[in-house]
Amino acid sequence: MSIAHSFFPYKILVSSSPFLFECWTTHSLQDLRQQAPIAAKVFVQRDYTSGTICQFQTKFPATLETRIDKQQFEDTIRKLNSLYAEAEKLGGRSYLEGCLACLTAYTVFLCMETHYEKVLKKIASYIQDQNDKIYAPRGLLLTDPIERGLRVVEITVFEDRSTGPGR
Amino acid sequence: MPGIVGKTFKPTTFIPVSSAATLLVGSTTLFFVFTCPWLTRTISPAVPLYNGIVFVFVLANFGMATFMDSGVFPRATEEEEDKEDDFRAPLYKNVEVKGIQVRMKWCASCRFYRPPRCSHCSVCDHCVEDFDHHCPWVNNCIGRRNYRYFFLFLLSLSIHMVGVFSFGLLFVMHHLERLEALQTTVTLAVMCVSGLFFIPVGGLTGFHMVLVVRGRTTNEQVTGKFKGGVNPFSRGCWGNTEYVLCSPLAPRYMVPPKKQPLISIQPPFLQPELSDGQMTFMFRDNGKSDAFWTKSKASLDVITLAPRPDFGEDCEPKPGLAESEGLSAQALFKYQAPFGSVSKVQYCAAGEQVTISGHHTASASLDGVPRDQDYFSEPDLDLPDCRNQLAPWALRSSLLQLDSCSLHSRSLSLRESHQYRDQLQALPCKPEDSAPHSSASTPGMLYSRNGSLSYDSLLHPSPNTLTMMDCLVHTGPPSLRCRLPFQPTNQLSAWLPELPCPVLVSRHSPHLKNPSPVCYDSLPKTVMASIQERRETEDERQLQVQSHFQPQPDPGVYHTPHLHSPHPGPCYSGGPGATKSQSPTPPIFGSRDSLIGFGGRVPQLHSSASRSSMTSETSATSMTSVHTDTSGSGAQAPAKPLH
Repeated sequence: MSIAHSFFPYKILVSSSPFLFECWTTHSLQDLRQQAPIAAKVFVQRDYTSGTICQFQTKFPATLETRIDKQQFEDTIRKLNSLYAEAEKLGGRSYLEGCLACLTAYTVFLCMETHYEKVLKKIASYIQDQNDKIYAPRGLLLTDPIERGLRVVEITVFEDRSTGPGR
Repeated sequence: MPGIVGKTFKPTTFIPVSSAATLLVGSTTLFFVFTCPWLTRTISPAVPLYNGIVFVFVLANFGMATFMDSGVFPRATEEEEDKEDDFRAPLYKNVEVKGIQVRMKWCASCRFYRPPRCSHCSVCDHCVEDFDHHCPWVNNCIGRRNYRYFFLFLLSLSIHMVGVFSFGLLFVMHHLERLEALQTTVTLAVMCVSGLFFIPVGGLTGFHMVLVVRGRTTNEQVTGKFKGGVNPFSRGCWGNTEYVLCSPLAPRYMVPPKKQPLISIQPPFLQPELSDGQMTFMFRDNGKSDAFWTKSKASLDVITLAPRPDFGEDCEPKPGLAESEGLSAQALFKYQAPFGSVSKVQYCAAGEQVTISGHHTASASLDGVPRDQDYFSEPDLDLPDCRNQLAPWALRSSLLQLDSCSLHSRSLSLRESHQYRDQLQALPCKPEDSAPHSSASTPGMLYSRNGSLSYDSLLHPSPNTLTMMDCLVHTGPPSLRCRLPFQPTNQLSAWLPELPCPVLVSRHSPHLKNPSPVCYDSLPKTVMASIQERRETEDERQLQVQSHFQPQPDPGVYHTPHLHSPHPGPCYSGGPGATKSQSPTPPIFGSRDSLIGFGGRVPQLHSSASRSSMTSETSATSMTSVHTDTSGSGAQAPAKPLH
């Protein structure tokens, strides 16, 4: 579980994680070699107008203009925003979690997943689903923002050979 | 406990945390062993139980504060950076948070613009979300994820100390006649330790209680970010407390990416349906689609040059006023051009509208853009979607930076302009909407970021300055001399002095090697050159204009004095002498790459790096937080952590 990592053994993992991360990245890039070449990457930035809550901008990037419908893109981003809002919601569930954690001297994190992590899993499956159904057929690939520290939604645009390079 | 992250192992970093842990555990153990038995017998077994529970709480929070990831951001990937820009990216980017301008600084080590409230810890060498401080007593950064545990640790430790001291005092009071006995001596020692350390711990606890209630971090408090201002991150006293204590535990970012099931992505790909007449031209995406840009430019040429039924009689060339109007309008239309990120700086002050008079005076309109379209660290240039907006569209501040080559190619969709015409006719001018608004007050200031747009060059075209008219005359086909889709009214004209944004007219000339004090994210060299060239002449005018329009220092503006300088601080003041200064006016801010002391990516541009100016206190308005380009000389160089 996640909290197990947050104790001392995790710290050692953190120290070597940049190196490991590169390995993982390389590995995933090798997987992509069988795919179409990457034409561009679009980064959808965070929307900070409401503070530090996790929201992404729904503005439609220019590069995707010829690749996907604006509405679909906005729907995806809005859904992501709503999921993140649900994850960060301050309510009964988060109170309960906090109280339980306090009472058990935080050992509950060893056995239980936090609310945020549960929603993150939901988000990951949503993104996977969107990729399968909508984005991959259009030569796009969404990257889970958690891999970028919830700073950007990275959309990889694959080269569409049928229309020529560089679109 | 970072201390071994990617660096040489420094045992000295563990001294404070070890001594803190030793003192805590040792003193409490002694208390339990020597003092508690008597207390149990005399008072109640609840005493050691209570103390035990509190001590467990202290230990748990201490452990969480020490070992928990504080919200570390992973380093940005290579692709996230704009490598294709010819010009140095700005050091700061502004973003509006609840109506208040907040500055995001470029982190040279982590290679991204730090989110609001994020700061880079030089000890741990990473950026931390909602960075509070680096605590040596737990040898860890205190950030978003572990601030609660740190705060609870302080609270519980204070309570524990009070408890230990009180019960120790009780014990000693009843054993005054046997002070030299072992138990009494030990209890006295424990009392001394707890009493002594209660002063700093209690003080720190009180300090953090105030911070929690006010919704500030230590970093913000110490650097005086909200001195006399409004904290945009505050949710009210109760909201702040609730947020600290009851918010869900934030996720870790430094996790290995999960192995995703492979999705096969092979062409042919589905294409979106384009509606008839949809000719919205989007330009430039993070500088990565130059090919697209080029191609679409050609297609745009074809499209825009053809007469359109939408304009109808408006397209009849009319000399004189109409022509200048049309040209001004064309200039307005073509604001976005390829100047990607520049256009990002748009400020949506409601009601500010375009004014275009018949005399080359053009100014930016800010209306119509949703407020959340503020600065993006990855600039994206596209035209406002007028189809969905009732207000006149917002023209970006880079509105009138024209590339003469692109004047005729980057026109807005004619459908949109037609729509705009209708809308504008329907909409009255709302001067009152431009009432002071922290973001509204700044847009004009921020225009300077995007270019020194000079009124005068439009009002009084100099022989050296090609006006839009000239540009268009040279490059625009007759069909471009369309009349404005809207008529400038007196009311609109009255707006003109309100707009602090002078207009720069680009010159159709090869780029010059003058340094550019203002930074753009992706401007063609020709435009940049013209901007450079005009800078000296426009500086005074700009200053005059700006001082006229400069609002009172916005107390709400969230600006960072350089008291708490991040690790690149030493780099600022040092400043290698490699950069050449060719501009008479040193730029206000450095570019992000100047943090690492390397030259810029553009060998052609050489600008002075005013590192000293970077440490100077700037005004609270965003204008001064506007970056200036200090691209130094040299080729593109990889970032090197400064620390």
